Amino acid sequence: MIQKKICMIGVFGTGKTSLVSQFVHSKFSDKYHSTVGVKIDRKQVDLSETTVNLLLWDLAGKDDFEGLQTSYLRGSSGLLFVADGTRRETYDQLFELRETVFQAVGEVPSIVALNKADLTDLWALGQKEYDALLAADWHMLKTSAKTGDGVNEAFYWLAAATVKS
Amino acid sequence: MPDNRLIDTYGLTDIGKVRSNNEDQFLVATLRKSMDLKHTSLTIADSFENLRDSEAHILVVADGVGGVPGGEFASGTAVEALIDYISHTMGCYYGHDVDREHEFIGQLEEAVQHTHEQVQHAHGSKGRGPATTLTMVILIWPRAYIVQVGDSRGYYLRKGRLKQFTRDQTMSELMVDEGVMSEAEARDSGLDHVLASAIGVDAKPSIGLLDLEWGDTLLLCTDGLTKHLTDIAISEILQRSGSAHDLCHQLVSTALERGGRDNITVVIGRMGEAEDR
Repeated sequence: MIQKKICMIGVFGTGKTSLVSQFVHSKFSDKYHSTVGVKIDRKQVDLSETTVNLLLWDLAGKDDFEGLQTSYLRGSSGLLFVADGTRRETYDQLFELRETVFQAVGEVPSIVALNKADLTDLWALGQKEYDALLAADWHMLKTSAKTGDGVNEAFYWLAAATVKS
Repeated sequence: MPDNRLIDTYGLTDIGKVRSNNEDQFLVATLRKSMDLKHTSLTIADSFENLRDSEAHILVVADGVGGVPGGEFASGTAVEALIDYISHTMGCYYGHDVDREHEFIGQLEEAVQHTHEQVQHAHGSKGRGPATTLTMVILIWPRAYIVQVGDSRGYYLRKGRLKQFTRDQTMSELMVDEGVMSEAEARDSGLDHVLASAIGVDAKPSIGLLDLEWGDTLLLCTDGLTKHLTDIAISEILQRSGSAHDLCHQLVSTALERGGRDNITVVIGRMGEAEDR
């Protein structure tokens, strides 16, 4: 079976761990736990032509004290960048993060999850931001780790992209 | 690894002041693989450099679950089964290869499953007998591979900041995660020390990793330590100078001074300059 390493990347508190938890265990918790180091999960994904075993590396979010540790990225087949749609600054940092990551592992398939889409009243992004992502050649999906909306789609899109690449 | 670097490891357990037996176990070990290249016609001898003095440090703590007959044996059975499995399967992995790393992570998961089955088999139980926590780090510099089942903890200290890299697998945490209780309700529920995952009963291993730096200190411990020492108190002791041996003794003696209500077990790994000691 094909095995692919997927890294979850984004600043702290964007919902990377919650997205993995929703995708792998169909669970969501409101309680915030800061990831330390890397938490590893796996999930088998059936695509139309093949089955892929995804190794999901949930990396600690970049914060004021610790930057992104690029040593964790080695051997990545795909990258799932996560921004919190209610915190504009987490979107702004995507571009710098992508540059750092691509320098470390090259331009591997990647997708942006604009997470917390269930919090519509607090949503801070609009068409201008979506257009900027598309202009930067980025595939993008709105997701909610809480409701599950867009979560499977994001991981399946990325799994398929890693197989094609 | 440069010669002036030293990974200093030590482990210590104490029965405490209240319990009549010690249900904790620990293990500190080093696996080595080395190749002494004598002569070769190859011009790429540097390719073998990563085989020179490769080593893996294994640190384990386990806390047998009290109140169940055989609890004191479950932790011993678990550590023995785990090390037996690892010594037979991980011999060829010492880092440097992404595909092999994936295999290795898979082997860690299998090792936990094997250990779980061995504990059930040894005690003739199928999910209703003795159980134990299990927290293990396999350190292949600089990467620490982490396996956790239950509520024995792992911490690391870096530049004065202590971080817990494991998450307690207890019923109170589970109730909050499932949205059944608020955090305040969970604190008052008495479920803090009821395990949601344990070897021998219902093992749901958590696998992770962490890249260490020189100057870091690793700590694995059973809840006999954290019942008496807050994270601040642990951090204060780990920041003192001294060997892993010294710090283990200081942690255990502090827990004893504060009551020693449970068995206390600590394992420490210090990543330091040789001249620091």
